[in-house]
Amino acid sequence: MRIINPNLENKLKKFGSDTAHICFNCGTCAAICPLFETSFPRKFMRYIQIGAEDKIMDEKLELFKCLHCGLCTSSCPKGADPGEVMLGLKRFVLDKLRRNQDV
Amino acid sequence: MFNPKDIIDILAENVKKTKNPFGVNKQKINSWYVNEDLPDKGEYLLFTGLMYQMIPYIEAVTSQLGKIEDSKFSKYSSLGRFVPRSLTNISLNALISKNNVDFSNEVLKSIITLLKNSNIDFLYSPDLDQYSGILLYDLGDEKYFKAHARTVANTLYQHNISKIITVDPHTTYALKVLYPKYIGINFEVYTYFELLNLTGDLEKEVVLHDPCFYGRYLELSHVPRNLLKNMGVEIKDILRNGKFTHCCGGPAESLSPKLASKIRENRVKQLKETNKLILTMCPICYTNLRKSTSNIMDLAIFLKDCVTT
Ligand code: SF4
Ligand code: SF4
Repeated sequence: MRIINPNLENKLKKFGSDTAHICFNCGTCAAICPLFETSFPRKFMRYIQIGAEDKIMDEKLELFKCLHCGLCTSSCPKGADPGEVMLGLKRFVLDKLRRNQDV
Repeated sequence: MFNPKDIIDILAENVKKTKNPFGVNKQKINSWYVNEDLPDKGEYLLFTGLMYQMIPYIEAVTSQLGKIEDSKFSKYSSLGRFVPRSLTNISLNALISKNNVDFSNEVLKSIITLLKNSNIDFLYSPDLDQYSGILLYDLGDEKYFKAHARTVANTLYQHNISKIITVDPHTTYALKVLYPKYIGINFEVYTYFELLNLTGDLEKEVVLHDPCFYGRYLELSHVPRNLLKNMGVEIKDILRNGKFTHCCGGPAESLSPKLASKIRENRVKQLKETNKLILTMCPICYTNLRKSTSNIMDLAIFLKDCVTT
């Protein structure tokens, strides 16, 4: 069973990320990201929109592959700033890991 | 891939203790200026941010990480304890490559030659020259980034520094954008090539690899292009340049050397299509891209060679 956190995007504001709701899931960012991983970073935008906090934690290691290169942000047609959202998620996850020491 | 928290905790602890991510004594890292004739008064402070000087250390650590990435050690959650013991301090010195040290020194000395050649009134103070903390920021460690940035910015402020010359895109972004945003201290920040005044008729052709921070975050890609054009250098631009430049892959090295090399191969392929000398402006880009091509040079060395020959 998946636990949904409807308040997730609000929670992420503290970590400097509040643009995920603007994303309309076109996939441009995933097509252009130099990591060439399936649906990266698009899927994380979606996880935030649907409040899938536990999916983010399950895939937390993948998040840190992001180079913070900003190419997705420059290419996003909606201005959803996926690059900065990824950085916000890194902060969120690191903070959580440091609190719980859960690795 | 390594557990990011392990790596970040090591880096943060080192920055806290020694003010650089490798836990190495600063005098050891920063010695390029020793035989240089450098002014101790001037309008601008030359602030290298130690990124070029850290290249030999970054390379030494990542070469070791590469060896253990697929070994049983990378699976251990105790990597955090394993890595600092064997990779920093004692054994790190033995792994420092002289070529990397020579490269860093040559770039910084070239920048001195260029600034003097353009009559820029600058000073250098090894005490004020510090690491910016940018790696912690990029990895999402806002807490330790801020703590470090605050001490760096406060020291500069206390010494009445208002105008700064930087030499790499990461430090430039930290001082120009992040310090005002997170610490509330503003400096007038220029990358060295923004201040240069050079002309010539060189009839050379090059291709530029724009670093992500100059190309996108700081929107400075036009500056080296104009500078080179004024010197008679023709630029063969590729599709992925400026705002849409492609990362060199270097930032992935501390977490996955394998991933870094995959991204690098893609980038070098794009650049090589021009068959021209590749110019870089960032120590991380240069060191990473050089692993897949030898036809590559740092912009500062290229410019220095042009003005001195
Ligand atoms: S490019 Fe922008 S709108 Fe499209 S999926 Fe990525 S973040 Fe969403
Ligand atoms: S910022 Fe991260 S997610 Fe965006 S294109 Fe670069 S590596 Fe991919």
